Amino acid sequence: MQAEDFHDSVRPGLIAMLPRLKRFADVLVGARDEGKGLLGRALQFMLAEQHRYQRGTVLDVWAFGEVYRQWLHELREQKDPVGRAKIDDARFGELFYPEGDGYFDAPVIAYLGALPPQQRLTLLLVYGEGFEHDDAARILDVAPDTIAARLVRISAALADRLSARPPAQAAAIVETLYPEGLRGSP
Amino acid sequence: MTELSDELLVAYVDGQLARKQTRAVDKVLDQDDVLAARVDALKHAHARLEAAFEAILAGEEMDVSNVSVPQVDGVVVSWRTVKVALAALGLAAALALAVAGYGWPVSLPGLSFAPQGSGTATLAVAPPGNWQEEAARAHALLSRQTLEVGLESQANYDFVALQLAQILGANPKLPNLEPQGFRFVRAQALRFGGEPLTQVLYLGAEGGPLALYAKKGDEKGGSATLTEGRFGDVRTVAWSEDDVSYLLAGQGSDAALMRIATRVKLEPAPPMRNDPKPQTPVNSALEKRDEKS
Repeated sequence: MQAEDFHDSVRPGLIAMLPRLKRFADVLVGARDEGKGLLGRALQFMLAEQHRYQRGTVLDVWAFGEVYRQWLHELREQKDPVGRAKIDDARFGELFYPEGDGYFDAPVIAYLGALPPQQRLTLLLVYGEGFEHDDAARILDVAPDTIAARLVRISAALADRLSARPPAQAAAIVETLYPEGLRGSP
Repeated sequence: MTELSDELLVAYVDGQLARKQTRAVDKVLDQDDVLAARVDALKHAHARLEAAFEAILAGEEMDVSNVSVPQVDGVVVSWRTVKVALAALGLAAALALAVAGYGWPVSLPGLSFAPQGSGTATLAVAPPGNWQEEAARAHALLSRQTLEVGLESQANYDFVALQLAQILGANPKLPNLEPQGFRFVRAQALRFGGEPLTQVLYLGAEGGPLALYAKKGDEKGGSATLTEGRFGDVRTVAWSEDDVSYLLAGQGSDAALMRIATRVKLEPAPPMRNDPKPQTPVNSALEKRDEKS
């Protein structure tokens, strides 16, 4: 028996990352209660399947991936998986201010809520959890290029939205093409 | 205006570019206000995303710290788990044992899962007491001898064993757990109820320390058999042998701790330790003779 066996057992590691796993589940399903349920079932499965955890695999990559796979598994059993994946905006918003007095960035929350679950998770894994693209790709079972492409698309769109530039009139666009000094010159 | 795609700029903001590429983009940004503004907008968006995700995590940590006695609201066994159980009944039994016997030391409200027929599935952590109270309890274990066992002597394994034997008035085991991946770090003398108590500390490649406590005499109700226990996150295995009571404590898995305790228990009792003989020519000659014989 080696020290690795002693300390690498899955359960203590999972306990240590419970808040992170819970956030992942909440962001995935879009509501606190459903997140709890999903995480509970995923943890139960992980306990039963911890022998599958391969030494050398980063535990959190494995655990986040298991929560995601549990969600996918349950989604596929739904009659209306598309409808099921939709979230309630109000309940999603509650994730950000659990006690009613916290951070509330309405434009960002609304933007996140409108994204498909996999795209929300991509943002969470890379910007919230700090995972490398490769690890985020392993968790979501996609190619690293897909992660990069999602980040570009989502980040660019969010940056545009937050820039809050009112849509310009066509005439105004033409106006800006001419430097002040040249306006009216022949 | 230089043409740089959002792909490149996002990779730049995310730190995904090679150093040379980053420097090249830096140069462009110095000269192009439009691109610099775009990068700022992307950074701003990322910062707000990070803040939003942090806010959720703060709520989750609050949830976890509000540990409660888990609700026993029946089994939620997914088909996924059932399939595994059907595939390997042994696994199902292992799961039942894991959940029923060990449970989760902490549980999120509503995140418990109880096996059928079991009253409780998880063991909640006792609410943390006043820190001064806990510190006072820990202080009560310290004695003058705690500080008299000098750190400089800890490198000499035999000397440490001798000191512990003298302090305890018995010959406690001082096992070498290197084969198990735990190196000896230090030993110290504590006090419990006016009686000496020794603590030998080990450290593995990672994780918290492993401690072997020893106290002279059999504890009331002490048993030669290994008995598991748990105090919050700390797992223990206790047993008595040769007029010494032992407690092995650590934060690893119960099974692993039990295996180490078994290994310690199977180790033969140490020989009675006496003061080391002074290194004289006569003693050296006697030792050589003993070795030859």
